[in-house]
Amino acid sequence: MSGLEVELRAVGLAYGRRQVLAEIDVRIEAGERVCLIGPNGAGKSSLLRCLTGLGQGRRGSVLMDGVPLEELGRSRLARSVAVVPGSISLPFAMRVEEVVALGRTPYEHPLLGARPADHAAVEAAMQRVGVTALRDRDARKLSLGERQLVVLAMALAQAGRLLVLDEPTVHLDLRHQVEVMQLLADLNERDGLTIVAVLHDLGLAAHFFPRLLLLDAGRLVADGPPSAVLTPERIRDVFGVDPRFVPAVLARS
Amino acid sequence: MSTGLAPGLARVRLGRFEALRRRPVMLFTAGLIVLLAAVVAGVVLGNVPVPLSDTLAILGHRFFGIPAAVTWPASAETIVLELRLPRVLSALVVGTGLAVAGATFQGLLRNPLADPYVLGTASGAALGAAVAVVIPVQIAFLGLGLTNLLAFVGALAAVAIVLRLAGGGGGGSLTSMLLTGYAVGSLLAAGLSMAMYLSGQNLRQIFFYLLGSFATASWAQLAFGLPIIAVGSALIMTRSRSLNAMLLGDEAALHFGLNVRRERAVLLGLASLVTAAAVALAGLIGFVGLVVPHVVRLLVGPNARLVLPLAALYGASFLILADLAARIPGELPVGVITAVVGAPFFLALLRRFRAGYEL
Amino acid sequence: MVLTLLLAACTSLPSSGTVNSLPASYAPNPTIAPNPTIAPNPTIAPVPTVAPLPTSLPNPQISPIPTLPPAGDTLPPAPPSVPATPAAIAYPLTITDDEGTSVTIPARPQHVISLSPAITEIAFGLGAGDRVVGGTDADDYPPEAAALPDVATFTGVIKEKVVSLEPDLVLAAGNGFNHPADIKALRDLGYPVVVVYAKSVDQVLADIRLIGLALGVPDVAATMTADMEAKIQTVSAAASALASRPRTFYEIGSTPDIYGPAPDSFISDLIEMAGGKAITTGDPNVFSIPLERLVNADPEVIVVGDALYGVCPRDVEKRPAWKSMTAVKNGAVRPVNDTIVTRPGPRLADGFAALARAIHPDISLPGFPPDVPICASP
Repeated sequence: MSGLEVELRAVGLAYGRRQVLAEIDVRIEAGERVCLIGPNGAGKSSLLRCLTGLGQGRRGSVLMDGVPLEELGRSRLARSVAVVPGSISLPFAMRVEEVVALGRTPYEHPLLGARPADHAAVEAAMQRVGVTALRDRDARKLSLGERQLVVLAMALAQAGRLLVLDEPTVHLDLRHQVEVMQLLADLNERDGLTIVAVLHDLGLAAHFFPRLLLLDAGRLVADGPPSAVLTPERIRDVFGVDPRFVPAVLARS
Repeated sequence: MSTGLAPGLARVRLGRFEALRRRPVMLFTAGLIVLLAAVVAGVVLGNVPVPLSDTLAILGHRFFGIPAAVTWPASAETIVLELRLPRVLSALVVGTGLAVAGATFQGLLRNPLADPYVLGTASGAALGAAVAVVIPVQIAFLGLGLTNLLAFVGALAAVAIVLRLAGGGGGGSLTSMLLTGYAVGSLLAAGLSMAMYLSGQNLRQIFFYLLGSFATASWAQLAFGLPIIAVGSALIMTRSRSLNAMLLGDEAALHFGLNVRRERAVLLGLASLVTAAAVALAGLIGFVGLVVPHVVRLLVGPNARLVLPLAALYGASFLILADLAARIPGELPVGVITAVVGAPFFLALLRRFRAGYEL
Repeated sequence: MVLTLLLAACTSLPSSGTVNSLPASYAPNPTIAPNPTIAPNPTIAPVPTVAPLPTSLPNPQISPIPTLPPAGDTLPPAPPSVPATPAAIAYPLTITDDEGTSVTIPARPQHVISLSPAITEIAFGLGAGDRVVGGTDADDYPPEAAALPDVATFTGVIKEKVVSLEPDLVLAAGNGFNHPADIKALRDLGYPVVVVYAKSVDQVLADIRLIGLALGVPDVAATMTADMEAKIQTVSAAASALASRPRTFYEIGSTPDIYGPAPDSFISDLIEMAGGKAITTGDPNVFSIPLERLVNADPEVIVVGDALYGVCPRDVEKRPAWKSMTAVKNGAVRPVNDTIVTRPGPRLADGFAALARAIHPDISLPGFPPDVPICASP
């Protein structure tokens, strides 16, 4: 499976009169691994919403493998782009396997339901993420780290060629943070998935992502490898933090 | 999940049902057997003894053309064919409808405490029925009395108002929809109180409508309710995938490629239609639509593909048996029976909420 | 939502937000806090609160009457001795009942079902008791009527029992006493159902004649009604001969509100005929009377119609705010056997006499049976 190529042309987004994104032009190649960084309110999540077709009232165009989002259709988009939400809430007790199986929704026959191929995909996704042992547990009883892995497995079962993650490591302890990051890197390098993630932890972003997009006030202010993006000046100007407080980030970049 | 007592207990509790969760086929088979037994019990038992052999002979004679010497009294035939059979089938249909509608509303609104009446259906139907009792007009349409008709219309009107106020079919937020449903329901309940106040001698009729009953079941009513509930429930079942996609919320559903707005409007409409037909047939019967979907979910998990048909099967059986328990002692309101069974279950459910276990 | 409705509807409380079947916060997460007001028992709780319901119906009453005093000698004179003349009626017989429905009775009825205690009394009073095969669970007069199979209860008609008794005539009470859906269902099953409903004394007499016709004993009915009419005339004449016309309140029920006669109702008419001025609720659709209205009307006589249900004059006199009423000051609070006053049957003339005595204790009614004491001395 090869990754999806994404291109944003002059994308802008406004909630009412408040402009949250303006004039974003980015091209993400198939099989790239890109991290969106920036202070709160910079427009990171809004940009993700544009990528996944949720940004209502978006201006500009989003192209997936050269096809505009609007022409792709809901169903094809759902089979192309898998989203890992920051957190999930379940109204009813649900086994892990059942949660992962939700990822197959875009493929299921409306009447017949899951077919053998779907079961196989669920099984493979659980194995890939390493949650097979949790299969019968109540997903609402899992630790946050385990739950994040389950959600990741669900997204993998969806078999998108672009994986979009919104702060996948928030609330996680260090070990789980690293585990998730390594898994993402592996999925990108071995399976060739295109990955776009939003991270707050600049250290993790710099270490695990070869390309960073820095957003500030709805504009793309820097794009490139961590060493080029995370300069002491930008730490001070964009994040409003004295660079001396984040030596590790700078050292890595 | 490595520490803490509660998660460990939860695992044990869930584990108890694991074996069952893997056997939906067994549950379907058991459900069909239970339903068949309930239908047979409902037709064979009653206020007046009709021998089993006569009952079977009457049914075979009438429906399968089995030639049989007519050894039974004409009254036995009337009791079996004109009283018990339409009544049992009405309970079957209404039980199916309420259970399917309840499961749909719980899934759509992502709320375990939702029931088929959550969007004002009950208040609307009750007000419609009360108005029918109060106004001095007697008309019948398609074999339905005015009470049934206005209950049906009232239920649909209430939902329409709620959806309109809450921001269109499916557009508004779930919480605002539920709150609007409650507010409109309260307003209609005030109208109901007023209608009851004005009803004078006929208060008893309204009162019994509110408690629910199959005492007035007839083939004509069934001919109205059966197609609506059967087709509505079947259409809901064909949209199981949409219900499943909405389990994780609207955004997740959009990411799964669902047209959330349209699917929610369609499902809300279908579930409301089914509920309206059910309350038109039998009045307000509580707890079936709340409890049955929960029991089924405990057994097979929240997959709508399994929950909907199983809830239909067990809801039908439950209501047939509840009606049997209501009519053997001489026409108790069936809503009282479902409450007597449903209320302890509901309390247990609340207790588990408090103890940290969820359904 | 059902719970809300039932509570709102069946208690006199307004539909406040206190009973809510869904919590306001719908956080679909594990920590959802269940609303403590979801107590499923309210569904059952309202049932007892219907208790005032029967007493608010001034007309035929289905409600168990705990201890009915024997009233054997008040029965109209010996109808069975009158020979029936069935030959006078040609069957099939088509009659129009009180709801305007045309009912055809194919042959002289032999298996009759009565769906109200008043109708049961009429049928037995007309000497057709041996042809009644089913009655209600509230039948109490004549005593042998209580032994009939009960095919109707407060909650409705048990249709299977009706069918199993293979009736050729069903007599039902209108105006919601029997459920209209039950009446329709029985007609749909092919039974001739005659519905009677009397709004006035004259209509009670007309109903007795209608039932007599339906049962094939019109002559017995004519004798009975003529006798009743004569008795009523006697009582009215005696009452109008008296100088006083006391303001009279007839208490139908007292829990939780005070229930009294509506204007132009059966009971208010009876009071006027019995030489009293009826204090009414003021609205034909309202059966409870605000205490202020009652105090303002200042009854000179209070007739305790709910005495059979354990409310005695001494209880009435003890009520606060009632002490100011002339009736209480003068000790003119008197019990009456509500069953014979309000049940539209053959004992109505005796009930009328009892009511006249309660309004005018000094009235002279020779030939009428003495009242059966209900409460020990008032």
